[in-house]
Amino acid sequence: MEHLVWLEATGLSTCLRESLSLLAFPFVLVLHTVGMAFLAGTNAAIDLRVLGVASAMPLRPMERFFPLMWIAFGVSAVSGVLLLVAYPAKGLTNPLFYGKLLLVGAAIVVMRALRKRVFGDPALESGFVSRQSKALAGVSLLLWGGVITSGRLLAYTYTYLRAAEALAGN
Amino acid sequence: MDRALVEWLQSTSLSAAVTGNAWVWPLLETLHFAGLSLLIGTIGLFDLRLLGLAKGLPPKLMARLIPWGLAGFAMNVVTGVLFFVGEPGNYVNNVAFYCKMAFVALAGLNVLVFYLAMVKSVEALGPGDDAPLGAKLVAATSLILWIGVMAAGRLLTFYHDHGIGQIIE
Repeated sequence: MEHLVWLEATGLSTCLRESLSLLAFPFVLVLHTVGMAFLAGTNAAIDLRVLGVASAMPLRPMERFFPLMWIAFGVSAVSGVLLLVAYPAKGLTNPLFYGKLLLVGAAIVVMRALRKRVFGDPALESGFVSRQSKALAGVSLLLWGGVITSGRLLAYTYTYLRAAEALAGN
Repeated sequence: MDRALVEWLQSTSLSAAVTGNAWVWPLLETLHFAGLSLLIGTIGLFDLRLLGLAKGLPPKLMARLIPWGLAGFAMNVVTGVLFFVGEPGNYVNNVAFYCKMAFVALAGLNVLVFYLAMVKSVEALGPGDDAPLGAKLVAATSLILWIGVMAAGRLLTFYHDHGIGQIIE
């Protein structure tokens, strides 16, 4: 916890947290939201197609969206780190934060598995999608729903805003 | 005008339902974020196709995903109305809220322009085809506007009592 007090006293953390500029905390929040929208949204679109929505649309070209999702993930990850740097105690003392990270990890693992299973399948061109692929797509949708939910709940479930409070141990 | 509207809305049973239980607001927010993800993942992706990403997709068939984006938008309109009725004080005197609504309105106009002027030429595009310049402009405008909606939405919380009047002063 003392490390978090130190972290919160650094220039970066203080600036993000206390600056009145829209380019500080608000901008990082916006980046995180936009990153989430493109990552979860694109993944959801691929999942829906794998599950059979808009089945007349060819699946193979959707593989081109993976670089987009990785860029969006990068934006979300970097902005997420900055959000944590601004309020480290708030996140790290909240079990739900670790839950969210686990869900994100699982969603990314499933995203990679889906790419391999769906787009790595030579039968894809004939329009065939295996049942395992559909199961992965369904799990992916659930996981991203979980990420969005747990992410939102972080704002409502934290115990400490600042490390000093946690040290005092209310 | 503000106060009367706020007080009237706060007196409704719908408002009480939204603010009564502590879990309602976070649930509505989660649905709102899911809705916007669906919108970006379908309509946003369609815009990116028109701008040249994943050209193997024929836009006419890709458009079959758009109803899901519209469903996401509809969900956001519903949750948005519930937010407004639940805590009108957060929004009536909030410049970010008016900006957000302006962006939504402009995005709607942009969609109208697309359907009036461009839908035929875009539907004719096959895999690998480059979209006409006009369609690319509409697509870029769409992306910028929806990102603007998200940005303004995220900034709402910082502008609860910063009305347009106060900015002008």
